[in-house]
Amino acid sequence: MTQQNNDGYYEAYWPRGARQQKTRALAPRLETLEGKTVAQLWDYLFKGDEVFALLEEELKRRYPGIKFVSWREFGSTHADDEKEALAALPERFKALGVDAVISGMAC
Amino acid sequence: MKQAAATSIGLGMPNITLALVPGHIGTKSKEELRRDVIGVTAQQVIENLTVMPAAKGTSGEPGARDIVVRGDFQAVNRYFYEHEYSDGLPIVPPTKEAVESFLHFTDRSPDEVLGVLLPDRRAATVWSVAVNGVMAGCRPEYMPILVAVIEAMADPKYAVEHSGNTPGGDTLIILNGPIIKELDFNYTQGALRDGFMPNTSIGRFFRLYLRNVAGFLLHKTDKATFGNTWRVVLAENDDVLKEIGWPTTGEEMGFKAGENSVTISRYTGGGSLSSVSGSTPEQLLPYLADSLLRFNNWQITFTTSHGHGTLRPLAVISPIIAEAIAKAGWSKADVKQFLFDHARMPAWVFERQLRDWNIRGVWDLKDDVINGRIPKVFYESDDPNRMVPIVWTPDDFMIAVGGDPLRNNAYVFAHNAFLGYPVGRRIELPKKWTTLMAEREKQQEI
Repeated sequence: MTQQNNDGYYEAYWPRGARQQKTRALAPRLETLEGKTVAQLWDYLFKGDEVFALLEEELKRRYPGIKFVSWREFGSTHADDEKEALAALPERFKALGVDAVISGMAC
Repeated sequence: MKQAAATSIGLGMPNITLALVPGHIGTKSKEELRRDVIGVTAQQVIENLTVMPAAKGTSGEPGARDIVVRGDFQAVNRYFYEHEYSDGLPIVPPTKEAVESFLHFTDRSPDEVLGVLLPDRRAATVWSVAVNGVMAGCRPEYMPILVAVIEAMADPKYAVEHSGNTPGGDTLIILNGPIIKELDFNYTQGALRDGFMPNTSIGRFFRLYLRNVAGFLLHKTDKATFGNTWRVVLAENDDVLKEIGWPTTGEEMGFKAGENSVTISRYTGGGSLSSVSGSTPEQLLPYLADSLLRFNNWQITFTTSHGHGTLRPLAVISPIIAEAIAKAGWSKADVKQFLFDHARMPAWVFERQLRDWNIRGVWDLKDDVINGRIPKVFYESDDPNRMVPIVWTPDDFMIAVGGDPLRNNAYVFAHNAFLGYPVGRRIELPKKWTTLMAEREKQQEI
């Protein structure tokens, strides 16, 4: 007597959904950081204040004309009002003449 | 790094560059930090800002209604597991018949988009709710609850995008309304344990949906250090609440008495309180107040300018405790006021937790109050022993009633604040609900 497969037959659907975001091009890179204004964004976690202070020290050593806009200017990027804080950034960067941004401190 | 790389796809920037501080900030000495940031991180920052990274495309995916595998039960489950669609337990294969049986229990169009969920930025459709509901082992008649739960998940206030954070919390769904009894939810003894199909399968559904549509996968977008597993749905004991004249969680979230609703909120942990004893509120509640302090430790950061008072600790108390308190003439609001007044710690203890133990950096309560970021109650004098609360207002405490009606136990949950803020949704039943339920009952009798 042949044994029947007792495991059934199924045609199963994909459980995900379509992504709604297309790939975007990154902003053009800078030729040099000399003379540029670099903004700092911090999520107020993981000693970012110390890390940014050290980065400033080293980048100023290598690019004496570099300028920084402190993370203090923008507020935390990880707080209950983070969506509003992030939405306001493009205008703020424009107003402050920002050329590049360093954002931290994911962990 | 892996989380950033995986998350960047949903943000449309799969090739965005990162700079590393080697190891973990939390265990470095000042000298090690200096050495690593100046020696390693700075160069990476410079390269990231001056050298364009190579473009990265994203790989093709199936279409929203594609059949992805054909085969027997083992083959389907092997495919789903290998493609990270399942949680490691067998899933119920989401076939056409199974999915359609779920769709019968909603009047919403299968293509309706309930929201777009990060980090993957996928459309959360009624269709995918049905598919994942099938997979989780739900019954078709749970579909109205599943839709409401995902509407809540998609609410920006809930902030699902934080569900992969390192504390690894998991969401509790609180259910209110006559649907509890209609669908045989457990709302008494063992209220937070698996074993009853509706409570268990809907809890599992939530996490499957986080995986498959929001996109939280371990070792990629989900960075839980340890993680919790999915939580069983807590069906509140609405009968007891009605008897004692206290509002249900649903009513406190703005729904009418007797209305079916879900409330979701994310908790990083918690614990059981055994033998909450006493015959008066004054005897019963100090233990609860003390436990709320113990279980919400680092989470008090959300009470400061970090979270602007979004901490909402939850206490689930058994019916007999609620009845004893109500017998003394206390309302739920009275209980919350007591907890606000007594769940307090010395200011220096509060600050030590965050400044010294959680490396909060340059911060104190005085600075937050003087700059108008948090209420004055946190800095009423310079006395470091002044007692400060852990929430901004009495109403920030949430109290639910459930569990064994004849046991004087409670359960306290530590909340993840704005990283899973309480959100409620009304459960919409289809117009033909009564007819559909009658048909289901007939099918089960056969």
